[in-house]
Amino acid sequence: MIEHIAFYSLSALVLLSALAVVLHRNTVHSSLFLGLSLAGVAGLFALLGADFLFAGQIMVYVSGIAVLVMFVVMLLGRASDLHLRQVNEFWMAALLICAIASAGLLKIARSYSGTLAAAAAAPSTRTIGKLFLGDYLLPFELVSLILLAALLGAVFFTHRELPEAAK
Amino acid sequence: MTLAHYLTVSALLFLIGIFGALTRRNIIGVLMSIELMFNAANLNLAAFDRFLHPEGAVGQTIAIFTMTVAAAEIVVGLALLLAIYRNTDTTYVEDFNLLKG
Repeated sequence: MIEHIAFYSLSALVLLSALAVVLHRNTVHSSLFLGLSLAGVAGLFALLGADFLFAGQIMVYVSGIAVLVMFVVMLLGRASDLHLRQVNEFWMAALLICAIASAGLLKIARSYSGTLAAAAAAPSTRTIGKLFLGDYLLPFELVSLILLAALLGAVFFTHRELPEAAK
Repeated sequence: MTLAHYLTVSALLFLIGIFGALTRRNIIGVLMSIELMFNAANLNLAAFDRFLHPEGAVGQTIAIFTMTVAAAEIVVGLALLLAIYRNTDTTYVEDFNLLKG
């Protein structure tokens, strides 16, 4: 019973704040709702028994990516943005694409409507650590390279060339 | 709770993300919508891991890889956005037409 209440309230939180992210006119509010939606997904991870994913979601998404997006919004935002339309003229076509895709996706979801969890969820951090340094060692090292490349890329792209006179 | 509940939530989250990525005029909004789509995929991976293959936690491992790549993607995306803003002085995607002949 408690699981049902938690699931439905977290799902409502995730979906409503995701809608607010997409539809809100003010980008600052949009980025705040993004943080809320990502925190709701973290709650769903906790409900699924994925403890390490829950912690990772909170640390990487809610306190990393959402804050980073908020910084950029405040860096680039203008007061005039509040009076401009934030949705382009193709929203009818996008709605049609979503309606067609939802028919297929929900049909797939319905085919699993009898699947119940086999056993109670167990802590999985230890298993994930063993997989990282065992079967998934190569992807693990590659991902660290990707992070290094992203770090260098961010520094490279935001680097501003000083004009000759200032040197 | 059955698997279908979680799949429905993640499908709806993914569709909201697609709608945002297709319709937002502001490129920061597009990037935020893409993050929502990544989260829907992660939720799917964790749900399949819990309901169909609970013994190995492989789905959760792959979800963590997705999370890492998504973090790298948003960092590079925002850095590119800053560089574009410096050149074009706008964040609206229909104004990014430097390559148009």
